[in-house]
Amino acid sequence: MSTDAAVMTADAGVVSAKSPAVRASAGGEVSASWPCFGSTSSAHVSGPSGERSAQEAVQLVGSSLARWHEQFSRFEPRSELSRLNGDPREEVQVSPLMARLAQAVSDAGAMTGGLVDATLIDEIERAGYSGDLARPLPLADALALAPARSPAAAARARRWPALDVDVERALVRRPPGVKLDSGGLAKGLFADVLAQTLAGHGAVAVNCAGDVAIAGTRKVAREVNVESPFDGSTLHTFHVRRGGAATSGIGRRSWLDVQGSPAHHLLDPATGRPAFTGIVQATALAPSALLAEIRAKAAVLSGPRAAAAWLADGGVIVLDDGSHHVVAPPAAVTLEDLAAYAAGARAARRHAPAR
Amino acid sequence: MSSASIDPPAAPAPQRLDARTLARTKREALRRRTRRIRRSVLGIAAVAFVTAFLVIYVQLASGHDPALSKRGTATSKTATTATDRRKQASAAKSSSSGTESSSASAAVTTSQS
Repeated sequence: MSTDAAVMTADAGVVSAKSPAVRASAGGEVSASWPCFGSTSSAHVSGPSGERSAQEAVQLVGSSLARWHEQFSRFEPRSELSRLNGDPREEVQVSPLMARLAQAVSDAGAMTGGLVDATLIDEIERAGYSGDLARPLPLADALALAPARSPAAAARARRWPALDVDVERALVRRPPGVKLDSGGLAKGLFADVLAQTLAGHGAVAVNCAGDVAIAGTRKVAREVNVESPFDGSTLHTFHVRRGGAATSGIGRRSWLDVQGSPAHHLLDPATGRPAFTGIVQATALAPSALLAEIRAKAAVLSGPRAAAAWLADGGVIVLDDGSHHVVAPPAAVTLEDLAAYAAGARAARRHAPAR
Repeated sequence: MSSASIDPPAAPAPQRLDARTLARTKREALRRRTRRIRRSVLGIAAVAFVTAFLVIYVQLASGHDPALSKRGTATSKTATTATDRRKQASAAKSSSSGTESSSASAAVTTSQS
């Protein structure tokens, strides 16, 4: 697979020399991973579609992620996101994917009543997150120094309702000064877009820096492991055939602000300060990765009492003390289950001793 | 003494009699309708209850209690230590689809980024 590795490196641009690049499993699944969005993304594809082979599909994921990494970074002054945020016009023509991100920001605000607010760029920069974090603060230290825990709430002066997005024409209208944060929403969106593009393959999993989208014609149940924020161990494993999973929390991006207080990237919209709610991480399952990302963020921000209500399709909540709750997915009865049940019942009757 | 004839009390006017009869008839019809509706509601409720009871009874008696299935486990709290988690990793599994995962499909990990 060294040839593929070279192709991937040249195409994606973000793959390091030590990257494992493309590899194929014994079962015929092609996988690759790339460092991007401050973490690691990966793709797993098996079976060809009508348009491309599994290897080409994985390469498409790599090149797309590399392009979007540049396009949606708020740390790059020349990225499309930075240009949009700094544009003094009220109406801005953007790329189709940027329009979808803007729509996602608006939808996230509406769905959560403003709890998930991706317009808090000024606040997060004031908190000290204005570039890549060189040395994150260990989670245990951040929790020890953190203020009293309390649930987050929506901001009184909300900016996201001012967003007016025409997705078909790729137009974003907003008062100049309203800025968008790509954050986790973009990762969920990217995973969904890629999984949708590759849905014609047998089995597809796109893991975009922790936001996972699963698709494919074979509807194979794939293991989705939930990682502990404390030691990286696996807390729980879900089996997902289609849909998304995402994890949000305060474990990976914490730092000390200028006053020496612990800070992280999940802000309480009401105060504009990092939220310490008693939850350090939430994982959500949902029909899409974007929806899972929104739910996971809302669960973390709403605190231990209300978090489970956001996990309608299942998830895992990790509390400050290291304990975790598993919210099981709702039991789904499919036609296949019913058919299997009926067949089993018929067989049992046939083999039952005559009375 | 003049024999003044005493007239029998005048019979109620036929129209008045008809109105009373009509009212009584209507009242009885109303009562019959009320009884019919009441019996229907009670009957339907009883049939629905017995049907639901039997369905659940058969389901449980045949050993297919959904609460005991692998797919659906109740929300649970697990107090864990770092070392416990590794031991629990393989045991703590649930399924959203009720199917076995394919050994050909790599597991994916969702984590904070």
